[in-house]
Amino acid sequence: MRVVIGEDEALVRTGLTHVMQAAGFDVVAAVGDAHELVRSAEEHVPDIVVTDIRMPPDHRDAGLRAAVEIRRGHPGIAVLVLSQHLQRAYAVELLGDRPSGVGYLLKQRIADIDTFTDDVRRIAAGGTVLDPEVVGLVVARARGHHDALDRLTPRQQQVLALMSEGRTNASIARTLSITERAVVQHTSHIYDEFGLALSDDDHRRVLAVIRYLSS
Amino acid sequence: MARRGGVRSPLARALTLSLALTGALGVVVAGVEVALVADSRVAPWWLLASFPAGGVVHLAAGLAAWRRRPSNRTGPIMVIGALSWFVVALANTGTPALVAVGVVLATTPLAVVVWLLHAFPSGRLRSRTSRLTVAGAFVVSLVLQVPLYLFDPGASPGGMLSVGPRADLLSAGTWLQRGAGMVVMVVTAGVLAHRLRAATPGQRRVLLPLYAYGILAVLATPLGPLLGPSAGLSVAQVVGFQIVLLAGVPVAFAAAMLRGGFARTAEIQELSAWLASSAATPERLADALGRTLGDASLQVVYASRDGHALVDGDGTPFDPSALGAHRHLVDIDLGTRRIGAIVYDATVVDDAELVRGAGRVAALAIDHDRLTAELRASHADLRQSRARLVDAGDRARQRIAQDLHDGLQVELVLLALEAQRLARIDGAADLPDAATRLRVGIDRAARNLRGIVHALMPAALVERGLTAAIEDLVDRMPLPTRLAVAEVDGRLPATVERTAYFVVAEALTNAVKHAAADTLTVTLEHAPPRLVIGVADDGVGGATQDGGVGLHGLADRVDALGGRFTIESPAGGGTHLLVELPCGS
Repeated sequence: MRVVIGEDEALVRTGLTHVMQAAGFDVVAAVGDAHELVRSAEEHVPDIVVTDIRMPPDHRDAGLRAAVEIRRGHPGIAVLVLSQHLQRAYAVELLGDRPSGVGYLLKQRIADIDTFTDDVRRIAAGGTVLDPEVVGLVVARARGHHDALDRLTPRQQQVLALMSEGRTNASIARTLSITERAVVQHTSHIYDEFGLALSDDDHRRVLAVIRYLSS
Repeated sequence: MARRGGVRSPLARALTLSLALTGALGVVVAGVEVALVADSRVAPWWLLASFPAGGVVHLAAGLAAWRRRPSNRTGPIMVIGALSWFVVALANTGTPALVAVGVVLATTPLAVVVWLLHAFPSGRLRSRTSRLTVAGAFVVSLVLQVPLYLFDPGASPGGMLSVGPRADLLSAGTWLQRGAGMVVMVVTAGVLAHRLRAATPGQRRVLLPLYAYGILAVLATPLGPLLGPSAGLSVAQVVGFQIVLLAGVPVAFAAAMLRGGFARTAEIQELSAWLASSAATPERLADALGRTLGDASLQVVYASRDGHALVDGDGTPFDPSALGAHRHLVDIDLGTRRIGAIVYDATVVDDAELVRGAGRVAALAIDHDRLTAELRASHADLRQSRARLVDAGDRARQRIAQDLHDGLQVELVLLALEAQRLARIDGAADLPDAATRLRVGIDRAARNLRGIVHALMPAALVERGLTAAIEDLVDRMPLPTRLAVAEVDGRLPATVERTAYFVVAEALTNAVKHAAADTLTVTLEHAPPRLVIGVADDGVGGATQDGGVGLHGLADRVDALGGRFTIESPAGGGTHLLVELPCGS
């Protein structure tokens, strides 16, 4: 699996490269600038681009804009955006209209190497991964705005949060120590409450739920 | 300055007393002189007595003018005139030494009249020409008088002042004195004519007869002996006529000064000259006005910006209804605006118009004082707010230091211990769990650090600007918070963005902590050239700008950018904070 890394801090860039290589990824380029990131992605057409948000040249959100640009220009390239600080608006922007092959995580999640490389693989395979913290923001904000949310049981709210993170039914079942069948029951109840069309596609349902909660 | 009812100031009382004593002394001198000449056979006694009498008239007019217009020098000049009359009167006594003094100073009363003519109405010589002319008049009356007694043994008792009879030199000296005297009078007439041209019609009506009378009185002395005999008058009659004419001069001048309205303009002209000079300071303005109007108890009070309330020089509110019995108040207007008032003693200054006139002249200076007072006040505010900004910066640093010390530093110490414990673990089986625990601990420390960094400078503000940062802030609020943003496109100046952000952040924090609110509302509107920020809650209200360091700090920040900070927080009615920041376009 071929990876292009965008990170302006040399130490983190090297560390991330090592982590990825150790996990069996083929790091084809590791750059420290947003423009270079777009060029490298176009040149190498990797399976996934992993990038920091705050990058040169403007040291603002150049990394995020590069990721959105790459996604738009190369639908086949998955992107994972890392940041020190998560924002709901960035998640919505990244998801765009095509909720596949996209991830948005806190930078420090790298440290949990197994989970992290697992997430990278899922994203590269077309999955969607949102950081629990940003999902928490979306859900917290929606509370009070959406009566449907308040009508969910605590368990259903847990399922909703995990679902929003892009987790599969199997993963949710594992995390909550319940059966996959129970997860399906919860999700269908949530869909009913939200008035959403039932979808078996794990990726698409993230977008549906996030959009519903952000409306 | 304390208000003093209708009582004159101690200074004014001292002046009155000394003037009265001077007057009494003059009367005594005159009485002695009349006694000395009473048995003279040289001339009728009434003629001889008329000299000291003329002195008394001068003295009376001079003292009256002095008392009524203490700052006007006309009165003192008249008193000097009176002195010269008393001295001249000595020439008629029988004591040779006194007679000699009288002879030497015989024509000085004329020089004093010339002085009065030039100095009227303020009593001060205002031009170089006037000063030279008056000096010339004294040269004529003192120096050019010398040949008259030097070369005429009959002029002084026993010829004591004479070097011998020299008829030719006496005649030349006499004509020289008359000629020089005529030059002085022609120049004087020219100066006065020039003044008449510059005077207002009203002033001219009084000035013209006054000047004409003064010049005539002077000319009567040299011309009297020449013209008198041809008019069939005796020497005694001519001299008597001259004396009456000259004695009338101070009376006419004093009357014109006190009633003719000149003293006012003259003193007010002086006041305006003083105001234009560097000596004019706020503290001395009331003194200067007091001197001009002759009221040492005079007080200047200043109007507030809207013109309604009055405050004294110290900023203490002044209540016009609590004035003493004889204290009167005259407003000072600049344009259509009341800028202050003059409070004076009506028993000292009997004419409100006079006070009003002085006020008009001083109006600009008073307005200047008022603006200076305002400027000083705002300067003091500025210094205080600067001090508070510095203090706020220090507090912020202190808080960060505290957060790092209590939180992160402790966590790092514990993590270091954990790492060291890891090194001592024997069983390889426990190692992965211990290492993971360490990683989780580091994660927690990192989260802590991110929180501190975020509070210092939010990522969203750096990356996307104000709207994004406030959206992020609102997303994280523990209470339902509505955000309405209008017309805030693109980036605003960094200082405006930061200030606006911290205003909203602090206001929301306060609302959550203190307001017991159910919902919060944040509004942002870019209405060039201003950014309008509103933060409202439906809580208990009662918040004040001075209530907390936070709000005060915000107000200072807003003030530093030239913005406006208002807070409405009626008890039970929620709190509504409104901030306007100038933001260029």
